[in-house]
Amino acid sequence: MSLQQLNSTGFEEIIYDNCEPCLVIFSKKECHVCKEVVPMLEELKPQYDGKFGFYYVDVEEDKELFQRFSLKGVPQILFFNNGEYQGKLAGKVEEESVEEKIAEVLGV
Amino acid sequence: MANSYDLIIIGGGPAGLSAAIYGGRAKLKTLVINKGTIGGLADTTREIVNYPGYIQVSGPDLMKDFKKHAEHFNVEFLKEEVVSVDFSQEEKIIRTKKGKELSAKAVILACGSEPRILNIPGEKTLRGSGVAYCATCDAEFFEGEDVVVVGSGDQAIEEGMYITKFARKVTVIVLHDEGVLDCNKVSAERAFNNEKMEFIWNSTIEAVLGEENVEGVKIKNLKTGGSSELTCQGVFFFVGMIPSTHFLKDSGLETDTRGYIPVNEGMETNLEGIYAVGDNRVKYLRQVVSAAGDGATAAVVAERYIEELNYFNSNIIQSDKKILLLFFNVLVNESLEFSTLLEGLISENGDEYKIFKVDMATKKSLAGKYQIEKVPAVVVLDKGEEVKRLDCSMDKEQLKSQLS
Repeated sequence: MSLQQLNSTGFEEIIYDNCEPCLVIFSKKECHVCKEVVPMLEELKPQYDGKFGFYYVDVEEDKELFQRFSLKGVPQILFFNNGEYQGKLAGKVEEESVEEKIAEVLGV
Repeated sequence: MANSYDLIIIGGGPAGLSAAIYGGRAKLKTLVINKGTIGGLADTTREIVNYPGYIQVSGPDLMKDFKKHAEHFNVEFLKEEVVSVDFSQEEKIIRTKKGKELSAKAVILACGSEPRILNIPGEKTLRGSGVAYCATCDAEFFEGEDVVVVGSGDQAIEEGMYITKFARKVTVIVLHDEGVLDCNKVSAERAFNNEKMEFIWNSTIEAVLGEENVEGVKIKNLKTGGSSELTCQGVFFFVGMIPSTHFLKDSGLETDTRGYIPVNEGMETNLEGIYAVGDNRVKYLRQVVSAAGDGATAAVVAERYIEELNYFNSNIIQSDKKILLLFFNVLVNESLEFSTLLEGLISENGDEYKIFKVDMATKKSLAGKYQIEKVPAVVVLDKGEEVKRLDCSMDKEQLKSQLS
């Protein structure tokens, strides 16, 4: 299942207005590591349907967003809950690390 | 069986895809298992200028052509990560991370390599916060900033120059004496003429400094032993590669101390039916063109091996009669004379036995299986099992008595 792409407006809505527990992967097209991590998230997404959101930001299309979090590279997965930033995972991360981090954010 | 193949290739870089093209064309049921994007390390290369027939091409474009070529020969692809293997039986077993089990008669290992991690303080914790391994991915995040590059090989210098398009300054930390870089001469010359490139010689990096983000690096001078700090916002590591062969650890496959797989000129490893090609094998030149050559060689050798295996299984194991495996070599006259004698004897005397002639020059794996070093030699098989060996006497009666 493909990830929903967010622009600045969508980002504000989902993260800060809806306060949804979710992750956002910051990625770009010409990044081979991203091409490994994004499909992994796409496969993981259905397991968390309705419980945890999975979103995607293209840093080349929305420069403002990655500058706001002063990110230094892609891919990076940022985690949010109740409108607050909950930490990030950078580089080539394994499925297990993402699952652990989600559990931590959800407090289970 | 859906998960059963003639040939499975682990890895979809230039070596694996070339093997796939040859395997597919030889009408072998061929599968390529690849964990990331197709193309391996070549897929991360912006510009390739030395692959014959392509004056200039991007890595991803060239690899798309390789893949298209393999698909044209009906090669199948599976996007999965291999976590363990069992190469101990004739049927080779491969297991993936998602629990899939596949089998093949022959396996070509084309797993490539991955960037070496130095394991110095800050390297892991600041990853994505200034520590990077891929210029194409991350260079633009350092617009107008100071960046350190560790290493002086082709990749370090070429990627370093790419970073100068964004960064204010790129400082390269080099192990060697002043003026000595590990990269090719053309790139070295370009780097020395690049105003944004600076070099720190005889040095290595001890730690990446910073809390939230990279703030600097600690540099150690190898000649004086002294340490110094350099302020920067980014560090790119290009300190060589290690072979991605860790999942083969308990397979019985031989590797050298660094994890590279030694092979002979037929790309054969120490295990029968298992071949290694490209960056994960011990070799001199690691380029797309040499990887492609490896792949072609391995697929052809694997094809012969599979052919022998199939022939043996259908003609010998399943035979009702006892089989006399007769090993000969056209260069050894004695073995040819013996062959004539034995054939004459069998045609005169009933049909309890069937002769199966094995040419030592082409059926090497059979000779290896029965550890035959001298010809003539005869192994007697019953339902595929060895029951005895003949004393290859030129005396007809003596020979006859052994067969009664």
